[in-house]
This record gives sequence, C-alpha cells and structure tokens, in this order.
Amino acid sequence: MDLSAGPEDPRAATNGDDSHVSKKLKLSFITESEIREEFAHHQPGIARINNGSFGSCPASIIAAQKRWQLRFLRQPDDFFFNHLQRQILHSRTIIKDLVNADHVDEVSIVDNATTAAAIVLQHVGWAFAEGRFQKGDAVVMLHCAFQAVKKSIEAYVTRAGGSVIVVHLPFPVNSNDEIIAEFRKGLARGRANGKKVRLAIIDHITSMPCVVIPARELVKICREEGVERVFVDAAHAIGNVHVDVKEIGADFYVSNLHKWFFCPPSVAFLYCRKSPVSPDLHHPVVSHEYGNGLAIESAWIGTRDYSSQLVIPEVLEFTSRFEGGLEGIRNRNHEKVVEMGQMLAKAWGTSLGSPPEMCPSMAMVGLPSRLRVLCDDDALNLRSHLRDKFGLEVPIHCQVPRDGELGVMDGDGCVTGYARISHQVYNTLDDYVRLRDAITQLLQDGVTCEMLRRV
Amino acid sequence: MATSDPSHGAATTGKPKPKPITPSDLRAEFSHHDPTIARINNGSFGCCPATIIAAQQRHQLLFLRQPDYYYFHTLKPSILQSRRLIQTLINADHVDEVSIVDNATTAAAIVLQHTTWSFFSSNFQPGDAALILHYAYGAVKKSVQAYISRAGGHVIEVHLPFPVKSRSEIVFEFQKALKLGKSNGRKIRLAVIDHITSMPCVIIPVKELVKMCRDEGVDRIFIDGAHAIGNVEIDARDIGADFYTSNLHKWLFCPPSAAFLYCKMSDESSDLHHPVVSHEYGNGLAMESAWIGTRDYSPQLVLPEVMEFVNRFEGGLKGIMKRNHEMVVEMAKMLVEAWGTELGAPPEMCASLAMVGMPSCLGIRCELDALKLRKHLRECFKVEVPIYYRAPVEGEVDPITGYARISHQVYNVVEDYYRLRDAVKKLVETGFTCDLLSK
Repeated sequence: MDLSAGPEDPRAATNGDDSHVSKKLKLSFITESEIREEFAHHQPGIARINNGSFGSCPASIIAAQKRWQLRFLRQPDDFFFNHLQRQILHSRTIIKDLVNADHVDEVSIVDNATTAAAIVLQHVGWAFAEGRFQKGDAVVMLHCAFQAVKKSIEAYVTRAGGSVIVVHLPFPVNSNDEIIAEFRKGLARGRANGKKVRLAIIDHITSMPCVVIPARELVKICREEGVERVFVDAAHAIGNVHVDVKEIGADFYVSNLHKWFFCPPSVAFLYCRKSPVSPDLHHPVVSHEYGNGLAIESAWIGTRDYSSQLVIPEVLEFTSRFEGGLEGIRNRNHEKVVEMGQMLAKAWGTSLGSPPEMCPSMAMVGLPSRLRVLCDDDALNLRSHLRDKFGLEVPIHCQVPRDGELGVMDGDGCVTGYARISHQVYNTLDDYVRLRDAITQLLQDGVTCEMLRRV
Repeated sequence: MATSDPSHGAATTGKPKPKPITPSDLRAEFSHHDPTIARINNGSFGCCPATIIAAQQRHQLLFLRQPDYYYFHTLKPSILQSRRLIQTLINADHVDEVSIVDNATTAAAIVLQHTTWSFFSSNFQPGDAALILHYAYGAVKKSVQAYISRAGGHVIEVHLPFPVKSRSEIVFEFQKALKLGKSNGRKIRLAVIDHITSMPCVIIPVKELVKMCRDEGVDRIFIDGAHAIGNVEIDARDIGADFYTSNLHKWLFCPPSAAFLYCKMSDESSDLHHPVVSHEYGNGLAMESAWIGTRDYSPQLVLPEVMEFVNRFEGGLKGIMKRNHEMVVEMAKMLVEAWGTELGAPPEMCASLAMVGMPSCLGIRCELDALKLRKHLRECFKVEVPIYYRAPVEGEVDPITGYARISHQVYNVVEDYYRLRDAVKKLVETGFTCDLLSK
C-alpha cells in the first residue's frame, strides 16, 4: 500500500505496475513502520476508510502542534506581540506557493471551508442589503453542494432577497463531458428568465457523491454565461488533486488543510483573487484588525488557539519524507483507492460511480442492490451498523434515480447505495478486505436496510 | 452558586471531595509558565493549569482516534454537559439560554449581526442608535462599526470618568448620556455595557445600568462580561440583560479558547445565529454553535475538570475570587505607596485586577508610549503588565497619565509585584522617560 510495499502485500507483486514493486529502500524516505507509528493513535481494530470526512493528523504534527500550544501558554503576551503574526504569514506564504497564487495577500487562513463559505456569502448578503444586488438576483449552486453551504446560502442569500439556481449533476457519471453538458444546460435553464447571476458556487470535488469536477471548464462556462463571480468550494482538494488557483480561474477558492494535508483540526485557506471587490470581504468575527484586509482580519479573531495554522511548515516537511512528496502521496492514494474500489465492485457485482480519472483519493463503490439502501436514513443506519458490528468506518450515500432515469443495475435490481471509500497513507489492504467481507456477510445473512431501521 | 461550594459539589455528584491543593501542587500546575517572567497580566490571555491541559489533550486524542464515532456519539453530549455547568454557575433559567462560542469577540459578532438584520428587515430605522461605552473593548467597537454603523445605525459613546471614585459617578454619567442620546426622539435599540471594562479596568454597576436602560425604553441590552466569570459573581437572571457573554479562558482556567453567550429566552433570541452557518442552521444558537464545521472543540469540553480543579481550593471559585481580589488590592496599595501615586478606582470597583497609577515623571504621553513602556518592562525587567494611557485633563498638575493594570491569579506570588515595584523605581531613579524609547 505504500512505499516499501513488497512481500507483505501479495497484490503488489501480481499487479505488474512498476510503482508498486518495492523499490530500493531510500533511507531518506519514511518507512512502513514509521508510518504505522505516525498513526498509532488511530483506534486499532477499526478499518478507517473515511479519511474524507475528518482527515487525519500524524503524530509528528500533533507533537509540533503541542509545542506551539505550549509556547503560547508559557508567555502569551510575548507570543502575541512577537511571534504569532509572523508565523501565520509564514504559513500563508507556503500555501501561496503550493496553490500558485500570485500574491500572499490573496491567501487567508480560516478555520474550515464552512467558515470560508460564510465569509463569501456574508459579502453577498451585504451586497443585497446595500442595494448593489437587486432582489431576485441569483446565486448558483450544485444540487449536491455540502449541506453547510446550502444552509449558508439560505442564511445569507435567500434571507437577503436573493434567489437560488440549483444545478443537478449526473451520478453515476461516465465522463467530464457529461458534467460539463449538464452544467451548461442547468445554468442556461436557471437564467432563462433573464436573472442576473451574481455568484456561482462550484465544488472542485463533490462531497457526497464524491466526484472530481472539471472545475476549470465550469468556471469558463460561468464566465461565458456572464456569471459575475465564481466561488470554488474545494474542501477536499489540497492533497487530493493538483491545485492551481490561477489555472482554475475562480474569484474565490477554499480548501481544508486538515482533510488531506495532515494538519490538525482545523484549518483551511481561502484564496481571493485580487480585484476591486476583494477588499470588501470581511471575517464575520470582527476584531481590532477590521478593515486591514481579510488575511489580517482572519489572523486575529480574538484569543484563540491558532496552533493548527502554525504547523504548515512541519506538514510540508512531513510530506517530503514520502517519495514524490505531496504529489507522490496523492498519486499513490489515487491508484490504491481505484484498485480497491474495483476489487470491491468486482466482489459485489457492482461498479464504480465514476471512472477512475474522476476519482481523487476517494471512490464511490456501488453497494449490492439487495441491501436496499432506499433513503438517506438507510444510508446512515447502514453506516452505523458497519461501525458497530464490523468496526468499519465508511460513509454511505443513497442515490435514487431521478424520474425518467434508468439507474445502474446489478444482477438483482437497481444500485442505489454507494460506499465512499478513502485511501490515505495509513490505510492497508486489510481495511478494504474487511469491508468486502462485511457486505458479503450481510448479503449472506439476508440483511436489508429495512431491518436496520430503528423503531 | 452551589457548584462553587465543595460540600455541595460532593452531595450532588456523589463524587469524593476533591483533594485540597497544596502550594507545591499549585506550582506544578503552572510550571509551564515562563519562570523568569513576573506574569502580572492574567487579564489579557488568562491561564490554564496543567491538569486542564491534560484533560483537553485527552479530548483531542479521542477525536483523532476515531473522529466519526466522536462526532456521532461524544461531542454533543460533552458540550451539553459544559453548558449545564455554566447554566448553574450564572443562574440561567434554562440550558437553552446558554451557548458556547470561541470568545467574547465572537459573541459580540453574533449579537451585532442580529441587529444588522433588524435594520435590513426595517424593524429598525436608519438613525436608530446603539449605545456603547467609550471604554468598550476595541474589537467590540469595530464590530459595532461593521454591523451597526454600516447598516445605518447611529452610535452613541458614553464617556465614563477615569480615575473614578465611586459607583455613583458611573451611574450618574451613564444616566446623563442615556438621556442625551434619546433627547431628539432617537430610539436606542441596543446598549452594549461592559461588566468589567478592559482598559481602564473597572467594575461597572451593570444591574443598575440595565434597569436604567429598561426604564428609558432601550430595546435590548448586551453585557460584555469578557473578564467577569471567575472574577465577579454573575447572576444573569438578576442582572436582567438580554445577552451576556464571558470568556472561560481568562479567569475560569479553560484552555484557549471558549466563552459562553447567554441569551434570555424571548422571541428575538430564537432569531440569533452563529455567523458560521452549518447544517444546524435554524436549530437554535446553542445547537448552531455546537457545530460550526470540523473544529477542535476541546476547550469547550473541560468544564467538568475545571469545576473539580476550582473545588480543590478553599471556598471553591468564590474563595479564589475573594483571595485574588484581596491580594490584588493589597499589592496595588503597596505599589501606590512605593511610587507615591494613586489607584485608578476604589477597591470595591476592582475585581482581581487593579489600575495602579504610575509616576508621572516617566512621561507617558500617548498610547504608543504606554505600549513601548510595556515592551520595555517585558524585555529589560521581564515583567509582563499592560499599561493604560489616560489623557490629562486641562489644569491638572503633575497628572498621572499611565496606569499599570495588575492582575492576581492563583499562580501569582508577592515577588511578582515587588519586581514591578523595583523596576519602576529603577526607571524613576535613572531619570527614564518614554521619550528615550526608540520607535
């Protein structure tokens, strides 16, 4: 599963793919047992196939964070006056280079993508309230947008008199072209009555179901269709896919750093392309830094523990211990998760929800239709059951075909349930074997989601 | 306040009485503090005992160990438990009235953003006013600018005297400003009143001021009690404000950072929202605040351990507050005698902090001087104490323009204050003035 995978992982030998054959052990690279140590604090016995939800943090980074926390506690005034701002700037500079932003002013560090969404949407709320946007002007979102983002739109756009255009993307999906076509259609339909579209919110990697979106192309379409501003919600992106904010071309771009970039909970960056309007973005928690630009405002929102924002240099060091650094980790995670996804789909007689090139370090694997995952509650119940009875942590998604759609079939009926499997450096083959066997067991026992519904 | 009494604690929880804390236990609890520094500034960033840091780390590790399980099974009940403890501490009627947020700065944003919506929905008219103290905390002033001025509200700043001789001076000035603010028929929609002002640091008679505001028809009252809990008694019901916030990491030993926001039950309170919107939007502020996306919520979860900790002291939290107050007043008097200056406020208006006049020959002539002097004391004398600049009034002879805001918390020792005393004496003896400090 990792760098030094060799005799322990029989699949590597039969795979035939060079990158899995154990290479000459480079002493400078992290070893398998070091990786195990780094994640020894994970609960043993749990097949943790859900890095996507809450991420993970290696022991060296936890230790680095503790050092920062103690520095503050030791002499907080000195830390506040002499060190904090400098360190946050250092972190921001590293991120700027990682994502190819032009200027460090464009990079703010906030708690998480949810906070970033609130920042961008509150700005929209003000525009309505102050008459720069008119009642009825629209905001575009994807049907599968993260629930917090949907609620944020309700709280700041709908409440302020804006309207919402919802674009449905297909799932399961076969190619980027399908996404692009559907998006173009949905956008045009939404604008049909001449609505002015002030902001489009597009996921870079949708959460549930999980698919890599051709964000760059969708941003282009938005520009062509006269959408004023585009916000890419890339909560999962960094450490998962290549991120080049200039290439993607959005006005705002956010990614969490605690999901796939090994930071402790929690930290995210919000990129705001320099423009006449970017000075008007504010952090909703107002401190004495109000008016000094979002990055400076976000770097002090009252007394807080900022340590998760300060370990980014240590994280970069950590990733460089792997062959190929962050890119190497990403590529191997992707390869592994596709391999595991295909293994599971084959074992269950189902298929992946999207082709490998649209999977990042996560994959949607169809669950046997006999399980009868028919609604969101079923999905949640099945997830709990897998956790409680099998020690498996994997989120389940329910996708019932829309009216007129055929849906994907397996031997017994329509596939409506999908497991979102993740692969991060700590995962092993055994995690996925356990998942495979658990589902097989459930089928053998004739278990369906109806049986799991709690009265 | 039942929970601050150790014997009540034992009776209600059935737990054994906490082991009394010894002086060497106490030293061990704060051994992570920089031992070379005379740390006389608990007021700014608070402090956190080693036991609580350890409790926090246990929570952090529990989450990292299996975050999904923690999220689905552990987090919410743990936050609820903390909220119940706070409810008891502040005598709130119902736990729904208690939300936990990051800090008082966040609480202010919540209350003020709510006011913004009232302006936008035309509940409030342009020109309707918000009233704040001139000594309001910098972040709160900015928040008022960001959420009220920007929305068309008018801001009334109430100037309170400092130095101050008695509560009645405060009451008198506030009454004057309130009447003046309303004088041309202006409607005052929100009053923001500090329970303990930050700089200069003085206890405000909030109960009287709240009553005054009610009598004068002020719509809503928000008490910024950032310093209050663990410093003065808080009876939220008795104070009678609509909103009350206090930091838990300043004087209640929580790690950075956590605060509570109390919202008296009413039609409006159901319309308060956390500005960071999650899927919990619409489920009430307490629920919204308990999930604002993936975060480290551990500072909010250690209240049970904190109560155990404070109950190891004689008299529990009440005892700690009483002794801190007595010590800081004693040390303040020692300093003014040594320096030939005066206190900024009488002892009954000091909590665990006191404003101590600094010798006028030091030449503190502006806020920048005060900041530079603070830095000088930190770097050259290893004394950490914030300095407040007070503009002299015309006609004053040899005015005191600088005040040291000294704090006393359980880890402080008299040597801390002797070091401050001697540092300032040395400065005076060597003819030091702030002019000599570089930019």
